[in-house]
Amino acid sequence: MSGPLFPRWTNTVSRLSAAGLLAVPAIGIGGLMAYVRSPYGTNMQRPYEQPIEFDHRHHVRDEKIDCRFCHWSVEKSPSAGIPSTTVCMSCHAQIWNKSPYLTEVRKAFFADQPIPWVRVHNLPDFVYFNHAIHVNKGVGCVTCHGRVDEMAAIEQQKPLTMGWCVECHRNPTPHLRPLEYITSMTWTPPAAPQEAQGLGEKLAKEYDVHSRTSCSTCHR
Amino acid sequence: MPPMNTKNDSAPSPGTPSSFALPVVPAQAAAAEEHGHGHDHAHPHEHDEVGAALDHAAGAGVATEGGYGKTYWRSLEERLGKPEYMETVGPEFPEGADLPPTGFARREFMQLIGASVALAGATACTTRPSDERMVAFTKTPPELTPGNPLHYASGMTFAGHTSGLLITAREGRPVKVEGNPQHPVNQGAAGIYEQAFLLSLYDPQRARVLRQGKAPRSVRTLAEEIAGLVGKASTGDGGARIRFLTEPNNSPVMGHLRSRIQQKLPNARFYSHATLTQDPSHEAAQAVFGQALTAQYDFSQADVILSLDADFLESRPANLAYARQFAHRRDPKMGSLNRLYVAETRYSITGGMADHRLRVRSSDILGVAAAVAQAVGGQAAGLASAAASKSAAPSGSAEKWIAAVAGDLRNASGRCVVVAGERQPAAVHALAHALNVALGNVGKTVRYLPVATESTGLAGIRELIADIKGGKVDTLVITAWNPVYSLPVDSGLAELLDPKHPERTKFTVLYTSLFEDETSALVDWFVPAAHQLESWSDGRSFDGTVSIAQPLIQPLFNGVPETELLALFLDEPFRPAYQILRDFWRGQAAGVADFESHWESLVSVGIVPGSTAAAVNVAANTDGATALINGYQAPKPAATGQYEINFVPDYKIYDGRFANSSWLQELPDPITKLVWDNPLLISPRTAEELKVERGDVLEVSYGNRKIQAPVWIMPGHADGAATLPLGYGRTGLHETTAQGKGYNANLLRTMNAPWFDGGATLTKTGETYKLISTQQHWSTAGRPVALDFTVEEWRTKAGHGIKSALARTRGDLDAPGNKLNLMPPFKYDEAEYKWGMAIDLARCTGCAACVVACQAENNIPVVGKDQVSRSREMQWLRIDRYFTGAGIFEGGYENRASPDSEPQIVMQPVMCVHCEKAPCEYVCPVNATVHSDEGLNDMVYNRCVGTRYCSNNCPYKVRRFNYLHYTQGKQPTEKMAMNPDVTVRNRGVMEKCTYCVQRIERTRINARIERRKITFEQSAGEGKQGELHTACQQACPTQAITFGSLHDPEARVTKLHNDERHYKLLQELGTQPRTVHLVRLRNPNPALAAPKASEGEH
Repeated sequence: MSGPLFPRWTNTVSRLSAAGLLAVPAIGIGGLMAYVRSPYGTNMQRPYEQPIEFDHRHHVRDEKIDCRFCHWSVEKSPSAGIPSTTVCMSCHAQIWNKSPYLTEVRKAFFADQPIPWVRVHNLPDFVYFNHAIHVNKGVGCVTCHGRVDEMAAIEQQKPLTMGWCVECHRNPTPHLRPLEYITSMTWTPPAAPQEAQGLGEKLAKEYDVHSRTSCSTCHR
Repeated sequence: MPPMNTKNDSAPSPGTPSSFALPVVPAQAAAAEEHGHGHDHAHPHEHDEVGAALDHAAGAGVATEGGYGKTYWRSLEERLGKPEYMETVGPEFPEGADLPPTGFARREFMQLIGASVALAGATACTTRPSDERMVAFTKTPPELTPGNPLHYASGMTFAGHTSGLLITAREGRPVKVEGNPQHPVNQGAAGIYEQAFLLSLYDPQRARVLRQGKAPRSVRTLAEEIAGLVGKASTGDGGARIRFLTEPNNSPVMGHLRSRIQQKLPNARFYSHATLTQDPSHEAAQAVFGQALTAQYDFSQADVILSLDADFLESRPANLAYARQFAHRRDPKMGSLNRLYVAETRYSITGGMADHRLRVRSSDILGVAAAVAQAVGGQAAGLASAAASKSAAPSGSAEKWIAAVAGDLRNASGRCVVVAGERQPAAVHALAHALNVALGNVGKTVRYLPVATESTGLAGIRELIADIKGGKVDTLVITAWNPVYSLPVDSGLAELLDPKHPERTKFTVLYTSLFEDETSALVDWFVPAAHQLESWSDGRSFDGTVSIAQPLIQPLFNGVPETELLALFLDEPFRPAYQILRDFWRGQAAGVADFESHWESLVSVGIVPGSTAAAVNVAANTDGATALINGYQAPKPAATGQYEINFVPDYKIYDGRFANSSWLQELPDPITKLVWDNPLLISPRTAEELKVERGDVLEVSYGNRKIQAPVWIMPGHADGAATLPLGYGRTGLHETTAQGKGYNANLLRTMNAPWFDGGATLTKTGETYKLISTQQHWSTAGRPVALDFTVEEWRTKAGHGIKSALARTRGDLDAPGNKLNLMPPFKYDEAEYKWGMAIDLARCTGCAACVVACQAENNIPVVGKDQVSRSREMQWLRIDRYFTGAGIFEGGYENRASPDSEPQIVMQPVMCVHCEKAPCEYVCPVNATVHSDEGLNDMVYNRCVGTRYCSNNCPYKVRRFNYLHYTQGKQPTEKMAMNPDVTVRNRGVMEKCTYCVQRIERTRINARIERRKITFEQSAGEGKQGELHTACQQACPTQAITFGSLHDPEARVTKLHNDERHYKLLQELGTQPRTVHLVRLRNPNPALAAPKASEGEH
């Protein structure tokens, strides 16, 4: 044959298409993977509008009401629960009992109709998360729910992805705290890493922490 | 839930092969092929190496069936090596199993999906989860913690007996039924009716509208009508024109209401009826002991048991207690085995546990009883001669059998028991009572109690119908279940209630029921009944124990509790059922100082203390029953060409009242393994005479009536007889689950002979009907799976068969040098628990309570008849019923009419055995099934993509795949029945037994919060239950299933794992299962030739 078969520009085409064949799926899949791990995919940092503007900043930070006053089943049940209207009225029958902000609460209470709160921390139906075991073994509320005392409307602060859960299950000691501080919003582990680790190990031993990573722990 | 609506009738398109696996075709079938069977010839035989190899294997495979001394077979087709069978069991799933529902082929599917993929993403563009609402209580009930279950004691009543139950409630609704551990009859067990009882509460087809004719009415209007009627009647004729037809009454509060109604209306009459009652036994007791008494047996004290058509292991009311006692004595660790002789017509569960079984027609049972009584002599001799003149004992092999029985009974005086069945007439019961007296069993293995349930029976029905016909009745109140359907066809009730009847407008009928059924279509007033789980009531068990039945939920469908309905006839200010019950029990507790605490304990424990009846001291006058026997009208002997017709309550539907329960319809019948249908049962010899195959429709002609029924050939059925199960062919208006299933056997039943009679003819119609049985699914191809041996064989372990079976099923795979499985052993030492299970075949009767319990606990869907025909039933636990007998060629292959005419049965529950070296785990491409640190084989539904490789690799075939979206389309109340702790699976997901991991996790979490270990039975203390049971273990009345941690040497499961009788299913494959089975032992009488195990012959 006398000359090259293909014109020069086909070189560029072939190089670009080869690069594209590798890059496009990589970017596509990588992009999708990044997307589902981003707050868009994990539902993080999305404050929900609730039927009643319940402000945790006021109740938790200002009034210093403990988490367990309202979410009382957290130590006994898989679900921490939303407080019943009676719990709200236990204070608000006396305090701010004529406030327009609480009209809906009063209406719901007297009509015996439940308040349809919008769920923020929602795991898929095939995940069976149990609050009681976590709370009783030294995992604080802040660890998973963030600084609720700084939230006007509750938003999900942590990804709650399986990978995030399994990370702690594989090594729970850094995330433990003494049971007295379970509901504390401001407790931090000791500054010195040695001390923090020592505390974690001590708590793990004291609370008999054996976090499980077999699938049936959560998937039934 | 209505069955899946799949278009199964369209044939697959021509391009699709019907099966992807080569069928195993034995030599005889190859010859039969030449006659044109019309199936796909997957390969020609002449030059095909593979085919030749398969043929050889098939030929050799039949021989190895008897390789360990016994032959196990699951159906006659298998036994006779019929070509249809061999084709169907070659591939794992039958033809059509992998077809999509509409039947179109894969090629078309791919084309369609190419078009639709472009549109796939258009609809749901957002990736955010849709907003879910959290709806809290307005006021949380103080005892309830959302997310945690509560347990309430309650009771379930039907047909005159109340079961004591413990019901698990979540968030104010019941989700699971268990037996009440403190109830003396249940002792913690719950049978299939108790388990399925829950589903009928949530059935969306329940009646909701109180109506008069077609117009809805309020309860208040009804109350006013009744008050007017009662007011007039009480001052006028004293209620002489009012009649009540109720279920047999066993409820103290309702008895009280009735007596008060009777006071107000002295001339009103109460009749009670249920399909199956203990009336013959009571009548016989009246004759023999001078008073109507209920016999209560204690099988744990009996060494020899003779059952005269008595299915005491499964028929209510006492089956749960009796099964436990009986199973106790089948366990060699509890002493010497008992010996059970059963004489019956069709194969029953009790017959399946028998050491010796006599196939006789029901009308010959009297003769058998008479012969036994004559041989035993003593106080039974007088009755025996009276009965012998009525009915001759069957001759031939039966004589030897009877002689052996009588000998055994005499030797075991005071430690034996004779039981007669409810279908047998009072004459047979009289003989049974007399035998027990003559053998000195009274006070030892049988006690007599006052009758807890009163019923007026069919005699009462006759009187009632006569009164209505004679124009003596203005008002008829029916609270009995569906008498128009359940009564024999010649009762006359259906004709009287028919609107076309000229006298119909002269009387008013009021009826209450859970569903709009056959009776409600004909009545004037229909009142939707409140389910028992919605109403306060009480009830007596057959032994007198009173249970307080508290409701678990407010009435879902405006039902009216029966006590409130009856109380309307008192013309008093309205009292809710709770008040009526409380007031009654306050009256009963007059001497108690603190009624409130007393009431609290009655309701919370569920049992009224001291209510169990004490035995009555009896003085027997056996000859007093001579008049009874002389008065007995034996059925005419069947002429040649005629058959004895037998009616039996169905094992699953009972008399039809559970026909709308899809769990029970889909439950394979314990003996025939049929689903969603009832068959006409005949013996193989009868089938040969009639030249019928399974599925052929026969016309049964009896009296002047005919019905058509499909045939099922039942090995072990008596010759010359046919059995028709009741309860099917329902036509209730809204009961769609029940409609169109089976045929109505009541259309042949007569008042004079409601249970059996001679003189039926069977004629071929030439039509066929598809009966679906699960017994062929997942056949295990001749390997040692359900081991049973006689006590003698087991003691010596001398036979080649038993040695080879044990060698293949025992042994430790992790012993050094064992190359059976290359996977490394798991290290369980660090785990807190090492879960294991043991199933004792000696105890298992095959009642299937475990199957329904598992279905209830794990949200297992119902798939419908068509899907079951494709082997897609979803129950995680299956009970394999094996017939066993001697070598296949005994009597020659030509002796097809009676291949093993006297087969025995072995029942084997099989569920995921949680292999330590599970073949399913290493083939899953997405790691959806993995091994937990405690030995469970975990199934992770969310990872599963539906490859089905795991099911392919499972040698036990215990994995179930959701081929279709079986869980869609649930009504709101059906969703309430789901257990919230278990995922409801979508289409395309594999599922299987999880050892009730949800219960394990809950119990473990509770224990770990309290910093302790889980309390099991062995450490719970005397009389206390452990904390953790699997659903199947908890339901089982015989304690055949044991579950626990193998780390604990004291645990029952550990002891059973080390028991002499333990073996591991398919251990030879190297799977190392965590569930062991225990060998079933039989105790044959050396005087009777036991079915021999053939040594080494094929």
